[in-house]
Amino acid sequence: MSSRKKILLKVIILGDSGVGKTSLMNQYVNKKFSASYKATIGADFLTKEVLVDDRLVTMQLWDTAGQERFQSLGVAFYRGADCCVLVYDVNNAKSFDTLDSWRDEFLIQASPMDPESFPFVVLGNKVDVGDDKRVITSKRAQAWCQAKGGVPYFETSAKEGSNVEQAFEVIARNALAQEESQDFNPDFPETIPINIGEQNQGCSC
Amino acid sequence: MASHQEPFTPGGVEDASRDPPSPASPTASFYDMSDDEEGEYSTIRPSKTGKGVKLLYTKSKVYVHPTPSAKDNIPGYVALIQQKPGRTDSISSPPTSPGVGSSLGGRRSAETSSLLLAWVPESSLGAASEIYSKVDMFESDSPPKQSCLVPPPPITTTHSSSLGTYAFAVPLSEVFSVMVRPPNTGWWFGSIIINTRGGDSFPPLFFHDSECQSTIAQRRRLQRENFSIGAAETGGVFWGGDQVISWLKKYVNVERSGQEPSVFLIEPNEADKVSFGSGGKPTPDKVKNVLQGKHRDEPMQKKPQNPGDAVTKALTQARWNFLEKMAQVTTFTRRTAQNLAENKNIPPQVRRLMQDPQVQTVSDEFDSARLYLARWAMGIAEQSEKERSQRIWTAKDVLEMEESEVGEFEVLDMDSQGLSLADRRKPVTLKEWNSYFNSATGRLERTPDEVKERIFLGGLHEEDGARKEAWLFLLGVYEWDSTKEERHAKMNSLRDEYIRLKGAWWERMVDEQGTLEEREWWKEQKMRIEKDVHRTDRHIPLFAGEDIPHPDPDSPFAEAGTNVHLEQMKDMLLTYNEYNRDLGYVQGMSDLLAPIYAVEQDDAVAFWGFVGFMERMERNFLRDQSGMRLQLLTLDHLCQLLDPQLYDHLQKLDSTNFFFFFRMLLVWFKREFSFPDILRLYEGLWTDFLSANFHMFIAMAILEKHRNVILEHLKGFDEVLKYVNELSGTIDLQSTLVRAEGLFRRFQRVVEAIDKKSNFPAPTVRQRLPQPPSPSAAKPGADGRPRQGSSGGGAGAAASASASSSGRARMTTGDHVAAGVGAQKERVISPELRALLSRELPKLDKTEVRAHGGGVAS
Repeated sequence: MSSRKKILLKVIILGDSGVGKTSLMNQYVNKKFSASYKATIGADFLTKEVLVDDRLVTMQLWDTAGQERFQSLGVAFYRGADCCVLVYDVNNAKSFDTLDSWRDEFLIQASPMDPESFPFVVLGNKVDVGDDKRVITSKRAQAWCQAKGGVPYFETSAKEGSNVEQAFEVIARNALAQEESQDFNPDFPETIPINIGEQNQGCSC
Repeated sequence: MASHQEPFTPGGVEDASRDPPSPASPTASFYDMSDDEEGEYSTIRPSKTGKGVKLLYTKSKVYVHPTPSAKDNIPGYVALIQQKPGRTDSISSPPTSPGVGSSLGGRRSAETSSLLLAWVPESSLGAASEIYSKVDMFESDSPPKQSCLVPPPPITTTHSSSLGTYAFAVPLSEVFSVMVRPPNTGWWFGSIIINTRGGDSFPPLFFHDSECQSTIAQRRRLQRENFSIGAAETGGVFWGGDQVISWLKKYVNVERSGQEPSVFLIEPNEADKVSFGSGGKPTPDKVKNVLQGKHRDEPMQKKPQNPGDAVTKALTQARWNFLEKMAQVTTFTRRTAQNLAENKNIPPQVRRLMQDPQVQTVSDEFDSARLYLARWAMGIAEQSEKERSQRIWTAKDVLEMEESEVGEFEVLDMDSQGLSLADRRKPVTLKEWNSYFNSATGRLERTPDEVKERIFLGGLHEEDGARKEAWLFLLGVYEWDSTKEERHAKMNSLRDEYIRLKGAWWERMVDEQGTLEEREWWKEQKMRIEKDVHRTDRHIPLFAGEDIPHPDPDSPFAEAGTNVHLEQMKDMLLTYNEYNRDLGYVQGMSDLLAPIYAVEQDDAVAFWGFVGFMERMERNFLRDQSGMRLQLLTLDHLCQLLDPQLYDHLQKLDSTNFFFFFRMLLVWFKREFSFPDILRLYEGLWTDFLSANFHMFIAMAILEKHRNVILEHLKGFDEVLKYVNELSGTIDLQSTLVRAEGLFRRFQRVVEAIDKKSNFPAPTVRQRLPQPPSPSAAKPGADGRPRQGSSGGGAGAAASASASSSGRARMTTGDHVAAGVGAQKERVISPELRALLSRELPKLDKTEVRAHGGGVAS
């Protein structure tokens, strides 16, 4: 094991501004929540080392500005991504409606070798706010994920930390599968069955 | 910090439950020495009855830095003390280090145990402080003839036994090594770390030489007598720590480690020598190398003392301080590592290294540690710069800084008013501001340029209200040649207009006017503004409160509450969204409005100030990002011109998109500096005094400051981005402004030089200079971007290559420019660069904003 090269998993977090991308990332990496994160300008990332099964991997989580016009300059860090996390706010319909364009934009910019099997994970954030404010039901979100080929879906609260760890575990697992499919068989990534298996497992929630 | 500063009490009234006091030896006479004073000292208490110990040497203003904050520093004395041998009476305990003394005669080992190396905080000295201060100032190489007795400090052999206080006194016999880090003038204080044979390390002692009267006097004396102030032991400039080593040498055998030249071994035995010493008989070359702090196997060569090496040195030292120390010097103990390792500010990779010093460092781990250390070293450098900038910058400071950073610098001449540069760098007070205007008409009686120069150099006074008035001129709300009456009238009509605009969007919201698309846009914009205002500068008291209920119960912030200033911010930004529908509100604008509102504290006035600011910032927010692309490209060209070596490196890292400066350029360093600093920075930039794009030189100044770290330590785009992002909150504004000014003047001269050259064909003799084979490589490509391949290319790369081959580790920017200009007559000043010389405010055409703004204007 020790001779195996250290694995860096690149994860891109996308979604409308104010859905909680920075908060989710900080909750996962630093176990902290602050109500006063500033709007992200440009891009930044945090790293976290995790054990996936018996593999020690470093996750590099990229956080970007949510306003759409700022995406065009940031394509540089889409490249080589191993997983893309799409975040929306369950209390904000618009942020859910834009998931499609975030996904499409990512696939165009990152141009992964096999877009069909590229791992996405969807997070419906801010479930702590309360049911009276909620506008996107779990059912609706799950339906969207099913339609996109069984994308794993989690409902999270970055504020309370609920489900964050679980979501990122699946993100890490799927990113690792993607990374390995690239490593071992760069020409035929779609023939790696483990990749598909992992994804199916991930969406069972 | 009170607990740390708790002084030891010379009378010995410390907590006796921890360490039972040892009986004194009343029979031993003071100068008696016995031969067998080895043993366990950690339980020894200061004598209650002894009349004191002899203070041989001491040095004042030696600090412990318990935290990174300078205000926590504890001043004290480092001292060499001779105690009565009788004090040490636990002979029955086994020696802590069996090998000690075996290489030396008995007399010496006796001395080493009766001699104490101590640090005592000033606050604990009481009446003894007079004696300490006297011995400190004693102008001789040998100790004072009459004995200067001071209360005995508590003897300690481990850092732990001095828990709660930093004071210690360790017998020399227990000292394994002293690690020294000589000072680097203007960058950090010299420091020493004492490592014991038991394997402990005491906290570093920092020599604040500039405060230490004896060091100042000694430097003067050295200069007078030897015409040099070189340090005898540690190299470089004479400093306090050097003297400690020379005291020790008078009493014990001190040997500099060949493997680790920063380590001085005290009374090393044979095994120590093999492990750390010079490894057999030192050859003259080896000794010289060691004395010059070089690797032992390096051949002798002249070491260039380039002041620009400071950062490299900082990094070398930083690496040394943590990594090499842990990996090589086995005396570094687990406990010390533990203390560091428990520091939450240290990243896990470094913490791991510290928890297991023997661990083979995985290269990845080392990378993370490396980044951390690089940042840490720069943090120290910034701190020292901040300390320097407590005072007003004098011309000499500017000169010094520019010499060390970017080559020589042309100091501005005295202006016609006869103000010195130092005076002109003082803030403009309201009184001075008012004196610029005719008291009757209120018309400016100076040229706008004179006023702008003053504000550019000195800024405006923070508290007296000068900003409130002057900013409206700088932001173009008022004309420079207006009278008081005209300004009054203008403000009245602007207030009316603000109310009208505010009413317009308000009606829009209520009546749901416009197309579906427009309504959607407005809804979205309102939400965006709402979200952003609630996360803009909330740490400023003005914006912190949540004392009024949110007017909109459907807002996501309805439960959190709001305050009147946040509501004003939202109104102003929505009004701007109405005023400039071609562009609308874009993220980042709230950052730009906050300082103006904070200064004016009147929504209509601040709004129009913001409108003025946005005229120049509009291009940053276009939907197609063309304005940001242009500025990033300009930074690319500027870096290429002023620092080809750095540019070359960034190119290798795939970082010449300069995306890592995106945030700084988008909101003008708002996220990098503190709020008060931003006010000062913005008013300077608004003057357009040197360039309407002076912010590009601020960016370049920040980049230059960190060039050595980037060159030596950053190995990928992600590392550069992370490093630059994390500069936030660490950058010293004052020195950055001065450096930017220097860079601008340098840039100006380079452009002039190149222009001159292109007018006069270079003499043929120039062709004999070593030149790269492809002179066309630096010509602009089809995209207008000069191509300068890292592998084969332009003269910049060639210049840096030739520089490094000639044995110079680093060239100053000036050298690069000189080399670049000399070797590359094809160098072209791009239109983007030439634009930097303009003082004309870059404003976008209205049609351009309409085409690329991304708003909904009809």
